[in-house]
Amino acid sequence: MKFLISCLLLAAITFSTHAQSKLNISGVVKDTTNSPLDYTSVLLLTPKDSALVAYTLTNKDGEYIFKNVDRQPLLIKATYMGYLPLQKELVLPETGDLEVEEIQLMPILQELYEVVVKAAKAPLMMRGDTIEYDASKFKVPPGATLEELLRKLPGIEIDKDGNIVAQGQQVQKVTIDGRRFFGGNTKMATQNLNAESISKLQLFDDKSEQSKLTGVEDGVKEKTLNVELKEDAKNGGFGKISAAGGTDDRWNANASFNKFDKVNQFSIIGYGNNVNQSGLSFDDLQEFRGSNAFQWGDTGDFGFNGSGGSNVIIISGGDGEESFEIPFNNLNSGYSKNQALGINYNYLKDKKDFSSNYFFSRSDQIQRSFNSRTTFLPDNSSFTSTDENLQNNVVGHHRVNLRFQNELDSANTITINAKGRLSSLSTNLLSHQELIRSNMEQSQMDRNNQSDKWSGAFQGTAIYRHKFKKSGRNFAASISDTWSKADQDGIQKSVVDLMNSTDPNTYFRNLDQIIQALNGSNLIKSSLLYVEPIKNKFFVETFYNFSQSKSETDRQVYDVESRDTNELNPNLSRFFDNKITYNRFGSSIRYANKGSNLSVGLAASNYRLNGQFSVLKDSEVLGTVDKSYLNFTPNVTYWKTMKGNKRFNASYATGVTPPNISDLQPYKDISNPLYVREGNPDLEPQVSHTFNTGFNMYDPATFVSLQFSFNSTFYQSQVVQNQTIDPETLVTTYKPGNVSGGQRFFPYLGFGFPIVKTKATAYISANPSYSKSLALINSIETETDTYSHNFAVNFNLTPIDWFSLNTGSSYRLSKTKYEQNPSQNQDIINWSAYSNMNIKLPKDFYFDVKFNYSRYKNESFGFDQNVPILNAFVYKLIGEAKKWEVRLSAYDIFKQNQTISQYAGQNFVSTGMIETLSRYFLLGVTYNMRGIEIKSRR
Amino acid sequence: MKLKLLNILALILITTGLRAQNIVGEVEYRYRIFYDKIYSSMPHLTQQEKDRILLTWNNPEGYSTRMKLQFWPEKSLYTFGAPYEVQSYSYQVEDYFIENNLNDQTYLKYMDQMGKTFIVTDSLNAPKWRVMNEIRDILGHMCMKAVTEDKIRGQKITAWFASDIPVPTGPEEQFGLPGLILAYDVNDGMLIVEAEKITFGEPEEIISLPKKMKGREVSGAKYQELIQEFIQTSTDSKRAWMWEIRY
Repeated sequence: MKFLISCLLLAAITFSTHAQSKLNISGVVKDTTNSPLDYTSVLLLTPKDSALVAYTLTNKDGEYIFKNVDRQPLLIKATYMGYLPLQKELVLPETGDLEVEEIQLMPILQELYEVVVKAAKAPLMMRGDTIEYDASKFKVPPGATLEELLRKLPGIEIDKDGNIVAQGQQVQKVTIDGRRFFGGNTKMATQNLNAESISKLQLFDDKSEQSKLTGVEDGVKEKTLNVELKEDAKNGGFGKISAAGGTDDRWNANASFNKFDKVNQFSIIGYGNNVNQSGLSFDDLQEFRGSNAFQWGDTGDFGFNGSGGSNVIIISGGDGEESFEIPFNNLNSGYSKNQALGINYNYLKDKKDFSSNYFFSRSDQIQRSFNSRTTFLPDNSSFTSTDENLQNNVVGHHRVNLRFQNELDSANTITINAKGRLSSLSTNLLSHQELIRSNMEQSQMDRNNQSDKWSGAFQGTAIYRHKFKKSGRNFAASISDTWSKADQDGIQKSVVDLMNSTDPNTYFRNLDQIIQALNGSNLIKSSLLYVEPIKNKFFVETFYNFSQSKSETDRQVYDVESRDTNELNPNLSRFFDNKITYNRFGSSIRYANKGSNLSVGLAASNYRLNGQFSVLKDSEVLGTVDKSYLNFTPNVTYWKTMKGNKRFNASYATGVTPPNISDLQPYKDISNPLYVREGNPDLEPQVSHTFNTGFNMYDPATFVSLQFSFNSTFYQSQVVQNQTIDPETLVTTYKPGNVSGGQRFFPYLGFGFPIVKTKATAYISANPSYSKSLALINSIETETDTYSHNFAVNFNLTPIDWFSLNTGSSYRLSKTKYEQNPSQNQDIINWSAYSNMNIKLPKDFYFDVKFNYSRYKNESFGFDQNVPILNAFVYKLIGEAKKWEVRLSAYDIFKQNQTISQYAGQNFVSTGMIETLSRYFLLGVTYNMRGIEIKSRR
Repeated sequence: MKLKLLNILALILITTGLRAQNIVGEVEYRYRIFYDKIYSSMPHLTQQEKDRILLTWNNPEGYSTRMKLQFWPEKSLYTFGAPYEVQSYSYQVEDYFIENNLNDQTYLKYMDQMGKTFIVTDSLNAPKWRVMNEIRDILGHMCMKAVTEDKIRGQKITAWFASDIPVPTGPEEQFGLPGLILAYDVNDGMLIVEAEKITFGEPEEIISLPKKMKGREVSGAKYQELIQEFIQTSTDSKRAWMWEIRY
């Protein structure tokens, strides 16, 4: 024990020999009752900046000594628990040592220490005679006045007349940030100032006004309370507004405004344009939603998923258009006029987190497109259909999102989500279709379809999470309901010109029909999860999922016989009533230690499908489905995080997807006479086995990154659409069936590295893929193999401050091989190159050029399209704070824009082209309260 | 010479009646980091981006890790404490050990930084602390305020030391004050490290450094140089460095 050496003593003692410039400083520390204080820290500081020079402790007689201290101006400071630290300047003798006069420490007013320092945890600050502390540490109710705050402070009393009495003396004046307030009327100040706006209070004896004026010390001191107000640093607001107009009446405008403080976030955003922008930019969306921009785990689905095939039932008809989410990063094809307006409000206080938004968007789109599809027949012949159409879609959405999360206490959290949508969609389609079977056989059809649709949907989710006292033991429960309704009215007309075909019942048919459809669905979901830790390294996770989806489809088709007579078409009118019930129970055990995570689990899932259909709602039942499937799905995942930002993962999952009810119905659906669908009541669920593995690493010192992954899926039982094509009528009949042997492989390799550190970086990637699909075509098993070779390279160059260039290229060769029909093999090439350049010119001028070149090629059809798009922008920032911007934009200078797609399917190849907004120029002005953002990098 | 010194010191200790119970013990610190504030302070961001980060990633609670310091008059050991909550996933693989040897004024740091493992050894060179006129109570200990600056990391450090625990060490890389550092703060709340529990007396389980320490051995000066270079390169490349260097 006697070797317990405190180094602070060591620090005070040095072993250099006594020089003239060194001296010893010694003294004694006592309290106000003249008893020596031992164990007191005594510090030597420089007066200039309070830098610590040396320190020591007093002995039991309160004595301290500093040896061999450099002769320089010094402060001495003594501090002892419960006493006010004392500091004073030392007067060093010319020569010899210094015996400092006795230091007396004053005890801290006990009330002050207990109430301020200990209870309120407010630091005490000594400024000469003044003791200052942070008044904001004292809790007062919202809206409380300064008087109420003062009542809580030790040593301060408010007498019955509202006067402040501090340390027995009446306070004569109150100053705010050092300035007199209301002519020194203390009550005016204390009763009107809001306690929440106060950061510090200082109480001191000020000279009297008289002596301040005359400069003559009259010895009169006035007890003064100074109030320091909080800086409203946390409050903020930003906004921007931008408008541009140009050639061909093109225009684009948008505006947004945000206002926020610690508790409230409010934002409003709107845009309008006729240049195809039909959503917010991601940045704008993030600013609009504020603290609610990123939320995870709000679905309430627990337990592992089958990643090979989704185990979650997706509500029927769930396409992007029916989403609850605010659209972003959308660029329409064709020509469109778009408008939107949104309001968002978030409230964040304590453990409560509320957010809400309303977003209205509308888009009026005109699209002219040309599609061609060549279908191969088993006898090696083929036919081609072309479709040239003009479509007008007017779509409007009202969307509301509400979210509330409350951490009731450290153990319980509740999250409630409510989403609503109300949409209208009207479409008008004019189409001209041609069928070319040979030079001898051609026919054509003109169609006009119109429809108006209203739809609404609502989703409510509640999630409850509980943490047990035993750390790591958790429970969670969720329940949700999704309801939707859609009402559609439409007409379908077609006129056929059979040219040189003789059979009136071939490919095209004359139609004049009225369609009325009313669809509704409701999905209830609930999940439970329980996690039990074993020795902090093993976790048993048990879960249960339930869902039930009910849907009703009522589609009535009437043939228009004459002007007033409509006849129900029983072949095309359908009423479906379906119910899918899903139950899953499973458990997994996970080992988690030192970055390694291994989880092995098994679940049993049951799907029950019930459905029936008829022509009309109450007419004779034409067929019923009553199926139940039980599957066991094992699941293994492993991942390991390693030192040096390396990560490895591997997993295996069994995925089970039940058949669509419509695929099970033992009935022929001839609503599209060219593509007849026939159900298969013997259909089994799709079962897949998925193996994923990957490795990635990033070296932050060299900026080298490497990513590798290999994902593969094997279908034990795959639901495919078998086809029968009538060689005479060319009508295709689809009937679903199960096959096994389908496969997919997706390797990926990416490598990023600097060429010149901080100046030039490169990223190269390759992701070849292979898929094998099987289906019966005219009762012959056909195998289609698709090899895709993808390579991409990107360069990012920032050699100098005022120049940046981001350029790259990607190449994809898709080779489709038809095992039974090699003469139809397809090689589809998509090649693209891009280059984005940003140059900062003198006088706040900027110049951006974006060039995109795409080439689409399919040699077997002689298809070869080049789409070079060049956009250029010149802009100048104006003003000291650079809040204004004037911008001249040129889009698609070569006038080449069009949207192209290519696809090779099992027995067909298709290409599509959409005429899209091309060359236009805009001149615009932007004002941004926060200064214009220059994005020189992608 | 050294022995003589020790004898003198021992003598002083005995004569000052040093309360020995206050010089050995274990402190649990809450290391609370506010990535939103740090990230939004990066120099390459525009005002709009800074606002956007604060608006969306605002996290008033910060992200907490429990740390542990064991101290004796002659040394201190510092590493991760038990996690606040048992996590059913394991991410943490990084090592972070600091041993301050107060007798011979040297330190050993074994830590994963900048994607590599370093073994840094050098002599303890206290920064220039400025002792301020402010006191605060932490777990019943009256603490004085001291401030310093880390120019390389661009940090303004405000520390609170307890003069009644006269062991001149502290959490993370802080030390060199006339008492144990019980709390410190970087850049007005970007990082707050604060003692939550102090247990005096010999710790039950003494922190042990890994038996096999593998890593790049460098001196303190060299390590500072590497950090400086890393921060410079990251800033030039408009990347945030604080994900890779302990803040």
